[in-house]
Amino acid sequence: MSGKSDQELAGVVTSGGDTWRIGDREMTSRFLLGTGLFPNPFVQTEAIRVSGAEVLTFAIRRVDLESAEDDSILQHIELDAYQFLPNTSGSRTAEEAVRIARLARASGLSDWIKVEISADERTLLPDPIETLRATEILVKEGFTVLPYISDDPVICRKLEAAGAAAIMPGGAPIGTGLGILNPYNIGLIAEEANIPVIVDAGLGTASEAALAMELGAAAVLMNTPVAKAKDPVNMAFAMRLAIESGRLAYLSGRAPRKRYASASSGLDALVVK
Amino acid sequence: MKELIINGSKRELDASTVEDVVRLLGLEGRPVVAEVNGEVLTLERWADTATEPGMSIELVHFVGGG
Repeated sequence: MSGKSDQELAGVVTSGGDTWRIGDREMTSRFLLGTGLFPNPFVQTEAIRVSGAEVLTFAIRRVDLESAEDDSILQHIELDAYQFLPNTSGSRTAEEAVRIARLARASGLSDWIKVEISADERTLLPDPIETLRATEILVKEGFTVLPYISDDPVICRKLEAAGAAAIMPGGAPIGTGLGILNPYNIGLIAEEANIPVIVDAGLGTASEAALAMELGAAAVLMNTPVAKAKDPVNMAFAMRLAIESGRLAYLSGRAPRKRYASASSGLDALVVK
Repeated sequence: MKELIINGSKRELDASTVEDVVRLLGLEGRPVVAEVNGEVLTLERWADTATEPGMSIELVHFVGGG
């Protein structure tokens, strides 16, 4: 456990007023955190706290009728403190995703939905056609729809036109930790979009989260790189710092790249001349 | 007793409503969402919805996920 105090955590928030918005919700944190795969609820709770995340993702699954124990994850989470973003993981078609989304909304906890429709189990790559169809249906039903999608700028445009509240291109396949495989595409998607772009999936470590933000993403969503780190709590904090750092670098505007050296110490009045 | 299909498995339960099903399964008061024959059934309607033989009931909840 990191034991970081709230004061320490408050000290690392980037410049005041840099908020962003999805639907009616205005947010300061640009770190959306998943709740799967943590070693235990205590580590998870502490990781969530130090991450500063305001949005948490969940999956929807059948209740285990053989277990008398309450295995609901919600017993460990303060319900009013977070925006819930349930996902449609496990669905393979738009219809299955819509069915899961309706169940998620019936919980009364959230009308946000992460559309996640996987084409196959080996890559878990999103099916773009089904994702677009599900987004169209769910937008009409009044959901706040955040589709997880390939890093393809054209499908991202189409999802925005369909009424998505944000678009969530993957950096690499879910859980791989391969980082941002196509920075050009992520940068182009961020540049073109008029809605928030959230890089979701595939990141492994802090530098990759910083890169996502430097490329112009509004936020980053991750789960495995935090939950499966040797020290999930410290990794949650590292990711938070990286996201804030990358955001600040993006806002600051990097100096241009050059092919050859240019001295940062001036060459005028040189002693050895 | 009625034979119902709950979360994909057949079960014999002495339940006349969906509320009875939830209670008999020990899920009362837990954050569970119900779907009956493919349609979401909100909590307020559990007590008024009579069970029928062969009825398909899904009981789901939030779990950890990314």
